[in-house]
Amino acid sequence: MLSVNESAGAKLATEAPTLEFQEIQATVLRVRPAPYFGTHVLLRIDNAQAGRDFLRRVTPHVDSAAGWWAAANAWLAIGISYAGLEALGLREDSLRSFPEAFRLGMAARAQHLGDEGVNHPKNWDLPFGKGQIHIGVSVFSDSEEKRRRTLNLAREQYDASSGVSVLAMQDFGAQPGDLNPLGYKDGIDQPTIEGSGVESPPGYGRPIKAGEFILGYPGEAGIPLPMPHPDILGRNGTYVGLRKYQSRVGAFNRFLRANANTEEERELLAAKLVGRWRSGAPLTLAPVVDDPTLGADAKRNNNFDYSDDPRGRGAPFGCHMRRMNPRDTQLSRLTDVNLHRVIRRGTTYGPPYDPNAMSEEADEVPRGAYFLFISAKAMATIEFLQQEWINDGNFIGIGDERDPIVGLQEQGATFTIPREPVRRRVHGIETFNVLRGGEYFFMPSLSALRWIGELG
Amino acid sequence: MQTQVQKATEPEQNSVVEQKVQKLRELYADAPELGRAALERGLPNLKRELAAATGMQNAGRIGARQGKVSELTGIIPFAKGGAKRLRGLLQALEGNFRGGDAVGTLHDMRFVFLDNDTKLLFATAYDGEWDAYIDDFVTKIPDAMDLLFCNIEGWPGIHSPSVKDFIAGHQIAAEAWYVANPNLTVVETRRLEQIGKAADEFLDKVA
Repeated sequence: MLSVNESAGAKLATEAPTLEFQEIQATVLRVRPAPYFGTHVLLRIDNAQAGRDFLRRVTPHVDSAAGWWAAANAWLAIGISYAGLEALGLREDSLRSFPEAFRLGMAARAQHLGDEGVNHPKNWDLPFGKGQIHIGVSVFSDSEEKRRRTLNLAREQYDASSGVSVLAMQDFGAQPGDLNPLGYKDGIDQPTIEGSGVESPPGYGRPIKAGEFILGYPGEAGIPLPMPHPDILGRNGTYVGLRKYQSRVGAFNRFLRANANTEEERELLAAKLVGRWRSGAPLTLAPVVDDPTLGADAKRNNNFDYSDDPRGRGAPFGCHMRRMNPRDTQLSRLTDVNLHRVIRRGTTYGPPYDPNAMSEEADEVPRGAYFLFISAKAMATIEFLQQEWINDGNFIGIGDERDPIVGLQEQGATFTIPREPVRRRVHGIETFNVLRGGEYFFMPSLSALRWIGELG
Repeated sequence: MQTQVQKATEPEQNSVVEQKVQKLRELYADAPELGRAALERGLPNLKRELAAATGMQNAGRIGARQGKVSELTGIIPFAKGGAKRLRGLLQALEGNFRGGDAVGTLHDMRFVFLDNDTKLLFATAYDGEWDAYIDDFVTKIPDAMDLLFCNIEGWPGIHSPSVKDFIAGHQIAAEAWYVANPNLTVVETRRLEQIGKAADEFLDKVA
């Protein structure tokens, strides 16, 4: 009687709903250009009227997802934290209709996120964790010149409002070769959203119901997720979890040298941690040596499942890639992998990866990424990922081990590499990416931005 | 998550234990004679337990946890005809819960019918948190959940957004929770069983 279903979303034969592209903010669907240039601006609203003035002025410049494929242009995105919605004077019943984790904010949910020790909010960079961040404005662009022009457009709007203060600004941009701060090719593997018209390269999996990523549409269970009200506020909106990481490049390089004798061995160990070579080539397709041509080929570098690697001898069970999207891996807990996907928009800051940086000073060079995780239930999904797939190994049958790239490591942490005849267990894993800030934002539709601007 | 064990100095610890003993003596002052005598005779052993670090943690919203193992207890009125249906279903199953195996975190489940079949006592030990996985139950085992729990009053259906609140609302936190192997999950236990078997086979071969 207790039979296990295929995911309900896979069975629902209903027509995919038409997405209201002109309402949805561009960042939700628009793929980050490569190379990319951008800036995050964090704002505080000092009085409600000024905040709403700013929203009224800036909204006409916020891009919608209509024509998302025309990513050659620069665009602006706006997110509002719960403290921001309060500061803008939203009515009590609207405020109460937001999920609890969003209302409390990311710092207050530290326990649920496993953000303890070095990742604890008391160690975060300002202005994070103080309840002061009200609005996040992000500029994305394919050229430095357009970035500056678009940022100026945003700046004119908040400079004109005396009651809006800039708390922080952070430029970001692609490193040479589109590498992340630990030197790996970035941005491979995103969920495919049903009805978005985005044609994913082979291997990206079946399209996931739009309601998992955008409010107001049916999700994987066949019904829309709960939405803040009134309807105009919630519909076509979504949530963004922002997490700022500092990459400890020295510690990472020291770990690789301590556990490998030659450059070949080092690069293989580095690949085992992620599941991909630095070129982006996955170990499932290139298990022994790197294949840079494969890594660079978007049509092939994600086109695999784990049916030929059931024991993790190519991509270890605990590697970052397999944890973040286990695909067809036999999991030890009952899990619907399609429920725990997020749209990731990684934005890298600081100097590029230096393979020769070995010192502890190198760990503190400001360098890392602001990760944007976009989902209609971003809070629940990020908490799930942090608890289950990042800072635990039980779900995939490897006990206490944690994600070697983004996990928070405890003393004596290990990483197991399955191989013939016996597995290798690597010791001395440290926290290579330290959390230095984070916040939850609501990313309203364009109509909702106008509606908030007209309040009061 | 590992619990930090605070190391108190010995005199500090002794005074904390003495305070606890004092409190217990006061509580047991009106106990039957044999209870008071048992307290005094058992004090040397009891003091060792009183001096140990706390083993209790919270499991998610409500409930207790030791190490990786959590408890969930609820007493919920039956829906009309629910007791009869559920008893029939459980008898037909004869103790086979294959779906429970698939969940991968359930150590046990207990169904007890109370007060002339008007209420169900449901108690389970499980790994980690249940509410992180409730959405997975919705898409993976919705029928199993609804078949079992449609028999209790007010069950909103596994697809309802209010199902988490419904479950949490009926949960009664255990006053105490003891787990012999707090760090062994269901998955770990299965793995260790396999390793034990393989080790024995290996030893048989080399012996």
